[in-house]
Amino acid sequence: MLGLWRKIRRTGRVAEPAPDRPVGPRPEGAAVLGGSVQVRHVDAGSCNGCEVEIGSAFGPVYDAERYGARLVASPRHADALLVTGPVTRNMAEPLRRTYDTVPHPKLVVAVGDCARNCGMFAGAYGVAGAVSDVVPVDVEIAGCPPRPEAIVEGLRKLTGR
Amino acid sequence: MTLAAVGLGVAVAVGALTGLAAVVVPVRGRSTVVGIGTAVTGVAGLVAGVAALGGQTFTLVLPGVLPLAGVRFTLDPLGGLFLAVTAGVAVAAGTYGISYARHGLDARPVQAVFPLFVVAMLLVPAADSVGTFLLCWELMALASLLLVLAEHRRRPEVASAGRWYAVMTHLGLIAILIGLLVLTAHATNDSFAALRNAAPHMPSGVRDVVFVLTLAGFASKAGIVPLHAWLPRAHPEAPSHVSALMSAAMVNLGVYGVARVGFDLLGGGPRWWWLLVLALGALSAVYGILQAVINTDLKRLLGYSTTENLGLVFLGVGAAGLFASSGQHVLAAVALAAALLHVVGHAAFKTLLFLAAGSVLHATGTRDLDALGGLRAGMPVTTGLFGLGALAASALPPGTAFVSEWLLLQALIHGLPASGAATAIVMPVTVAAVALTAGLAVATFVKAFGVGFLAKPRSTAAARAHESPVSMLAGMGLAGCACVAVALAPAVALPSIGHAAQAALGDGAPGVSGAVTLRLTGIVGSLSPVLLAGSLLAAALVVAALLRAVAVRRERRAARLWDCGAGPLSARMEYTATSFAEPLQRVFDNVVQPETDVDVTHHEESRYLVAAVAYRHRVPDRIERRLYQPILTAVAVWGQAGRRLATGSVHRYLGYGFYTLLGLLIVLAVTR
Repeated sequence: MLGLWRKIRRTGRVAEPAPDRPVGPRPEGAAVLGGSVQVRHVDAGSCNGCEVEIGSAFGPVYDAERYGARLVASPRHADALLVTGPVTRNMAEPLRRTYDTVPHPKLVVAVGDCARNCGMFAGAYGVAGAVSDVVPVDVEIAGCPPRPEAIVEGLRKLTGR
Repeated sequence: MTLAAVGLGVAVAVGALTGLAAVVVPVRGRSTVVGIGTAVTGVAGLVAGVAALGGQTFTLVLPGVLPLAGVRFTLDPLGGLFLAVTAGVAVAAGTYGISYARHGLDARPVQAVFPLFVVAMLLVPAADSVGTFLLCWELMALASLLLVLAEHRRRPEVASAGRWYAVMTHLGLIAILIGLLVLTAHATNDSFAALRNAAPHMPSGVRDVVFVLTLAGFASKAGIVPLHAWLPRAHPEAPSHVSALMSAAMVNLGVYGVARVGFDLLGGGPRWWWLLVLALGALSAVYGILQAVINTDLKRLLGYSTTENLGLVFLGVGAAGLFASSGQHVLAAVALAAALLHVVGHAAFKTLLFLAAGSVLHATGTRDLDALGGLRAGMPVTTGLFGLGALAASALPPGTAFVSEWLLLQALIHGLPASGAATAIVMPVTVAAVALTAGLAVATFVKAFGVGFLAKPRSTAAARAHESPVSMLAGMGLAGCACVAVALAPAVALPSIGHAAQAALGDGAPGVSGAVTLRLTGIVGSLSPVLLAGSLLAAALVVAALLRAVAVRRERRAARLWDCGAGPLSARMEYTATSFAEPLQRVFDNVVQPETDVDVTHHEESRYLVAAVAYRHRVPDRIERRLYQPILTAVAVWGQAGRRLATGSVHRYLGYGFYTLLGLLIVLAVTR
């Protein structure tokens, strides 16, 4: 037991320093949240590539939670929606309802190229459009799929930390 | 002439006249006449019972009515209490019956027997001799049997329920009959006073036989496990106002019988008698509520809840006897007062619940909780009243059952230091049984109310439910007022109940006192139901006011119910009674032993394709299966064997007669 304590003391802190704060304007309404943003993820028709990266962004390596963003299980608890994929016909109405369910003030983050402009699925018969065609989008994160660093950077724009 | 005598006389006269009137009056006004007559009978009986509780007594001897023994009636506080409870239930049930009986229950026999059933029940606690008691008891049993069978043409299950009830009630009668006759054989005549004088001089073996036999008979009437098999059959199949009378009034007379014979006539007994009563009570309480919590038939659930509540009453009576036998008269008085108060409270809320269940049955045509739901919209008053009854039954403050169970627990907990190893082991187990029962009762009534009345309707019948007529609501309202009165002001009734308990125990120990705050004399403990209810109400008001104050500052927005964005929630997604009880059933899997069958039919061409899946799930009454099935099988085998004797040959029958006569003559010749 003592050996373990000694090891911990000797090792100290091994985490890399946090990357710089993202540049660019903070989306309107994010300041009210005071640096703590509860996020609900909505898969609107993604290929699950973005989901893997989101999982990684909230994992121990990139740890988006240390910047104040946290995934929650219901839009009722959320301040922001994290939407992935092109919005399919089946998911257009549920996405709209989810957006209506989130209490004010609310923000939407479109994650990945598909969410921004339908990406490689543009014009497909089952696709209703990009996320911005269905609900107003505040922050866009590019990439197919976006790297976890990019997702963390996008979320830091909301938290401001 | 005292008020008690006048009241009882008026009750019997009005009841009998109502029975006659039901035969004469044409069908249009019949149920009104019978309902009002029964309610008036009840009011008169209530006056007599309350007067007797207050200390008035009277004795009436009619030597010419019955051959040999005559008929004797008397009223004392113990009898008065049960008289008052029965009469109170009759008022509510009679009022309710005015409209309820119009729907297929207004045939002459049923309507004529209904007031007679009430009269018979009123006379049982007033009987003062073995002959009178047995006469009234049998009258009550036969009247209730006819009423149970009221709907036998429409539903075949009724006939089977009636058979069970007829057999078990008569076996019970035989046990009581033998017990009381053995007791009478040692006395000069069959009046209770003579039995009281003779009891101390009887050999202890005979006293034991008398007590055990009468206990078996009275326990079967009270629906105590393992003699409960008729209760969950007959109570649901009877018309609902009859169910209320049976479940809230008739079963109580089983308790009355045990208290009368055990405490009064035999003057108490050895410890094992009362340990037996206590064990039967605890077993019934736990088993009854376990069956109730997994049952999905609303009235069957209430029937099992009756077994549970009567179990608690028996537990209190047993504890009282146990304390009395070890000389702790204060505790005995508290325990018996708790049991009697529970009788009163149970009568109030069970009347309300059965009448409300009758309204639901009347409005929807089903008793299956899985097919109900959403009744709040169609029948708001019934829903509110059932909610009140459910709160009253669930032993939570400010509920009706709370005060009596609190008193019972006080008596049991303070009984711990009582002498003897048996008490030291039994008391903690009993406290645990009461606690488990109280917890499961909450789950049961949350299920019955939440699944049955709230949420969305699960069937078209439930969606089309309509509110009951005024007289049915009035009957339920009366029972509801009684629930509230017992819950908030038990102190009004408790001194007289304590008086009845003392009278039964034959001992001057004061039990419970106090007007607003109940204080137990002799042991530390006090409770104020009114202040408790008041503080709960105040807390609710404060929370509501704070919410209002906070909510004013914020903007409000109406949003649709969150359903994962997938569309409206349907009734198929709701909790059903089965699914609500599933976790509990899983916990008590070893006790209830549910049976599940899954039959998978495969496609003809491939075993990998499923054509149909049949799923059956039922929870059999385990005690019934273990205990009754072998007996029934043995009786059937015996009957088959007996049929071999009767072949249809006249010569053989003449032969039987001849040889029997010959045998008898030989026996006489040898023994003389």
